[in-house]
This record gives sequence, structure tokens and C-alpha cells, in this order.
Amino acid sequence: MRFLTILAVLLLVSPVYAAENLTLSGSLKNETSVRLDNMNADLTKEKNIFELAGEYKINGDELVLFAKAKYWYDAAYDARDKLDIAQHYAGHIQRTDWLRDLYLDYTRDNWFLRLGKQQVVWGQADGIAVLDRVNPVDLSEYWLPDLQDIRIPLWMANINYSPKLNSNLQVLIIPDFEQSTSAPVGAPFCTYAYIRYDNWKKAMLAAHGSVNENLYFPGKQFENSTFGLQWSDRIGDWNYTLNYLNGFYTSARNLTISLGYPNYKVDRAFKRYRLYGGSFNKSFSNPGPMQGITLKGDVALYNDEPTYIGDPVLGSSKRINRWNNVFWLIGAERYFFTKYLFSVQYAQYILEHAKEKSNYAELTSPAYRYPLNAYTYGYADQVENIFSIKLSTQFMNDRLKPELSWSFTDDDQGKVSPKVNYEIKDNLVLTVGAHYFYGSLYDSNGQYRDQNQLYTNLKYSF
Amino acid sequence: MKKLLFLLLGLALVCGSALAAELDYFQVYKPKGGMTADDIMQIEYFVKYTRFAHDVTMLGKAYFIDRSGSVREKETARMRITLGRKSDDIAYKDIVMFTSPQVKGLATLTWTYMNPSRQTDSWLWVPSLKKIRKISAANGDDSFMGSDFSVEDIITRKFEDETYALLREENFKGYTCEFDNKVYYKDTPCYVIECKPKRMPWYYSKRVLWVDKDSGGGIYEEKYDPKGRMFMTLFKRFEIYKVNGKDYATQTLLEGKDLRSGHRTVIINDNIKYDQGLSEQSFTERALIQSRW
Repeated sequence: MRFLTILAVLLLVSPVYAAENLTLSGSLKNETSVRLDNMNADLTKEKNIFELAGEYKINGDELVLFAKAKYWYDAAYDARDKLDIAQHYAGHIQRTDWLRDLYLDYTRDNWFLRLGKQQVVWGQADGIAVLDRVNPVDLSEYWLPDLQDIRIPLWMANINYSPKLNSNLQVLIIPDFEQSTSAPVGAPFCTYAYIRYDNWKKAMLAAHGSVNENLYFPGKQFENSTFGLQWSDRIGDWNYTLNYLNGFYTSARNLTISLGYPNYKVDRAFKRYRLYGGSFNKSFSNPGPMQGITLKGDVALYNDEPTYIGDPVLGSSKRINRWNNVFWLIGAERYFFTKYLFSVQYAQYILEHAKEKSNYAELTSPAYRYPLNAYTYGYADQVENIFSIKLSTQFMNDRLKPELSWSFTDDDQGKVSPKVNYEIKDNLVLTVGAHYFYGSLYDSNGQYRDQNQLYTNLKYSF
Repeated sequence: MKKLLFLLLGLALVCGSALAAELDYFQVYKPKGGMTADDIMQIEYFVKYTRFAHDVTMLGKAYFIDRSGSVREKETARMRITLGRKSDDIAYKDIVMFTSPQVKGLATLTWTYMNPSRQTDSWLWVPSLKKIRKISAANGDDSFMGSDFSVEDIITRKFEDETYALLREENFKGYTCEFDNKVYYKDTPCYVIECKPKRMPWYYSKRVLWVDKDSGGGIYEEKYDPKGRMFMTLFKRFEIYKVNGKDYATQTLLEGKDLRSGHRTVIINDNIKYDQGLSEQSFTERALIQSRW
């Protein structure tokens, strides 16, 4: 109702101010996807999205108010199972999800302030969140949607000062906290870890036991805010950033406490961690063998990152250890032949240890000492090698744009995503594509090997 | 997305890339009798890339018209600052932002260098990612964002890339623009220059260019493939803007026709403002990050 009220107000005032200080823009979009399972096809998404954004210049370009609201409804959940409350819930706008942006921009001389609900993006990587950790994420459709739709906006003060040309110091003060979300059990992209947990919980309840779940959010005090710093500058032709983030890990970590079989207590809490990192990019513009190549990279040390330890065979988490893990990425892209853009990325996620070796671990079963993949509760390699490749081009005077992306790891698991965009009219674009997942059920992409998708998106912009 | 980017770049750089070797920035030059083909082409590039102005802002519309008459339209807002600064080799910097609904907010920042052999540096603001991407330079023979211009037609061709010969001096026969059905430059005195690429083989064997004797602008060109067949025509309308007592020859209408496919591209520049004292701070990565769309 609040969304509709604001929408009505915006539409009413728009003719008055459109020519002057107010600019409105929006879109209507349909996203339909079906799951391919052998010869069957299940409808997994029938999502209709309305988005409206408005920019109001209070004082020229110096002081500007910007807001973006989104409403969506996914009819596939109703069509699939109206009685499943979790699924039905997932098919609707939740909490404050409808408000995507609401902030005030102030720009003067070397200062730029953005105050309000917003997204902040760090890093150079495409589709791999090495430094892009300021906002929590909504993984109800895994990492498939556009990243701006995956990130959950937060209320914050985003303060920027440029002491010299081409440099910038960014300070983030984020008193707001939202947890990252994932799909409920029964939804196409529910994680295997969640399914395993849910199965265990059902088993305990079937054994006439109890599972007492508690979720502890960070307190509302200022000291529980997230703080961030980014310094951006150039050295010669190299652009670089230095990054620091001190805040709560946005995924709650489960700690299961036995109260005597089959009764358990599961405490879910958010742990504070720190990110130290940096990024770079450079295009080789001078003549030579490298000319035309763009290089980019990210590196991050996650200090005290909460890491699941347990039994990957049973899918049982026993503890949370605070490890210093490292994630780094390097990428390159170049045009080959005429009009073919080739882009490649290589990343490593390195855990501090291959196996827990604490005194506590010595007292427990050896099977309980392995780091777990948080998506699946499967075994997590100490060094995970991640690759991504993308090839794109265009035909018909840019109306038809095919693209093929492939991401995979050294565990023989991955995702292949071909798609084609076709511009039907100026403001009407059709996208047809597919996602093919392969690998072990215990790997991040492999867990969705039965969720291969064919999809269409139709977007009208105004 | 890449093609869109290159359209952005081109729309911005309809005014700019290569650098005439000897001419000083921020001056107005016109052809004179007795000039060589090289002299004339140095001025043509100077005018093409508006190296006479300190800065410029403009709104642009691009129309993509296929053989059946179907029209697609894109709108842009863009600004450029000319620096000609030898200390860091920067010739000028551009920011172009799409304002059409479908791609609203998509924007590029481009730095073009004085060294003629150096490629441009470009950054792209991607609204769907809400982030900046450093991007690679396109190939010169790539179609420019699906338009009928090549990337080098709009962005990357430099004075040093071709050899020139003065074919003749003549009054231009006039160009009938299919977009507005008007006849432009009828009986206008012109130099006719043959431009041959140094790079061989290349996607064209020569260009024949009509340069307006008055403004120094290249108003019409015919492009020939390696077999000597004309495959493209490109028309540019220049208007004179009076700025601080100087005459700035400004491209206000471009029409490119691919004779093989029958596809046309029309670019119209409007609301053009020169020398407003833009700050170089507006041509940084941070300026892109401030995008709200």
C-alpha cells in the first residue's frame, strides 16, 4: 500500500515538474523461466516487475533527491503450491524490499555526499564478489539476476572527498543492518545446505524432539555500525583502490547445541569481521603486443571470517571458526577479430587452513574437522580455483546481441549461460537464455544440477 | 553493451580523437589557397574534433534506420573538456550518458591522448551492475555500436593513419539528406582529397573526401572497399557557432549510409554550448560513480 501511495503521488506530481526539476523513468518487465528435468518442464518463475525511479533537483546539480521503488509478484509460487507458506512468501515483496533507493546527493567542489538508502560497489571483478561486500545479497535466485537486483540496499552515509584530481577518499558509515537472504526450502534455488538442515530438523521433530531456533541480530547501537574506507587513485596509467571494511558478516552462522537427543538448540548469529583489500585496472593503450588488452584485479583478506567446520559427508556443521581467508582475482579482456569481445577471469579463494587443528578438534571425531562450503555443507577445498569466460558480439546493427558465459572451478563443476538480447523496438527488449549447471551436489553450482533453466525476459522501459 | 558503449564514445567523439600534428590548440584555422593536401587534412581533423574549444556540452539523438524504414532512436547528453596537455599526454576527456529509457544512465568516460599511436582509455558506468568497468578499445573496423560508421570513422582515425592527395578543387554538387529531405552545400567550393590508409590490407582501400573551403570541415565522403567499389557515404553538416568572437564550425547533423545493406544512421547534435568553464573534476571516475541511474 505504501508503495502504491508513493507511486500515485509521483505520477500526480510528475506532469507539474517533469519539464523543470523532476525526471521520472521506469520499466515493466516479465521474467519467465522453466526448469528442464529430463523431458519435463516446470514453471519456476512468472515474475512481473514494475519499477519507477525519480530524480528531483532541489538546487541544480548541487543538491538532488533520488528515489527508486520496485514492486513485483511471482505467480509461479501460487501456481506451484498455494499451501506452502514459505514458497508463497518468497513470491511476494518482503519487508522494505520495494524501496531500492532513497538518498540525497550533495556535490560541492571536492566533496560529494550521498545520504540515504543505497548500494555501494567496490572492486573490478565481474559476477564474483571479492570486494563487493558492502551490501548484503538476496540469493533467492542464486547469482543469476543483475547484481543491482541481488544487492540489498542499506541506509548509510557515503562521504567522498577528492584531495587531488583523479583521486577519491570514500568513508562509509552504515548504521543499518540487513542479513543476506536465500531461497526457502522448495524454491528452485534453495541451497543444499538449507535442504540438509531442514531434513535434519524434520527428522528430529519426527523423533518427537525439538529444535529451538534463535536468530540474534546485532544490537541497534552505533558501535554496531559497519564502517568502510576506500582510497582511489592513479599511478601512471594504473588505477588502484585500497579498501577497508569493518562490519558484521551478513550471513548468520548456525551453532547447534545438543540438549540431549532428539532435542537441540540452534543459535544463529552474525559475526563481526574485517576486510582489507585493494583493486587495480589498466588498459594497454600504447603500441605493442599488449595493446587493446584491459587487465583488472581484486584482492581481499577476510580477517576473522566465520567459517563452518564439520562433517562434509553427513553435511553436519559442528563449529564456526574465525579464519583469515584470502580471495583474489585477475581478469583480462580484449576484442578479437571484428566485434567479438573475449573476457576471462581467474580467481582463488584460499582458506587459512585445510583442516582444523586446534586442541578442541583433537577431542572430537576426525570427520568433524573439515571446512564446509556454506552453500552446501559439502567439503570446501583449502584453495578453490575459479574461472570465468565470456564471449559477446552483435548482429543486425546491434539489435541482436548473443552472449555466452561459462564459470567453473577445478572441481569439475560450473554453470554455462548462453543468452540472446533482441531489441524489438526502442524501449522493448526481449532476452532468451538458459542456465546449465553441472557438477557434484556438494559444490556451489553442482547443487543446482537439477535446476537447469530456460528463460525469457521482456522489458519495456519508459 | 559494448556496442552501446562505442556509440556513446562515437557520439562524444564525433568531435574527437586524432590530433593534427602541428596546429596549436584553442585556435581557429581555415584552409587557404596553396595549401597541400596534408595541410588541409590537418585542419579537417582539427575542426572535426573541435580542438578550437576549451569545452563543450551538447544533447544528441541517433537514429538507426533499416532498409524497410524501421527507426530506432537513442538519446544522449555529453560533455568534453579539451586539454592539450603535454605533461600527461592528455588531449581531451569526454563523458557521454545515454538518456533514452532503455539504456538510461549508461555512461562512458574517455580520455584521448596526444600521442597518435596511443589508444583511448575508457571507463563505463553500467547501471545494471551499479559499477564502473574499465573497458578495452574496439577494433577500428568494427561497426560503431550497430551504426553505419566504423569505430575509426568516429573515434580512432588519426591524421597519421592515412596518406593524402589533392584530387581537385570543385563546387560540391549538393547532398540530399534522406532524413529531412533538404539539400545541403549545393555549389559550395570544396577541396576533394583522396585518403588512403597506410594499413594494408584494410577494410577500405580509399576515402574520397570533400572539404569545405570556408570552414575546413569534411562535409561528404565516399568510402571504397578493397575491390574499388563504393560501399558507404558519410555526410556532415557544419554550422558556425559564434563564441567569444570566434567562429566554431560545429557538426550538427551526420548521415551515414551503408550502400550494401541499405541501413542508415543519422546523428543530430543540439543544444550545443561552448567554453562554459567546465571543471576537469567532472571527467573523473568519481563523476561516473555519482550517476544515479
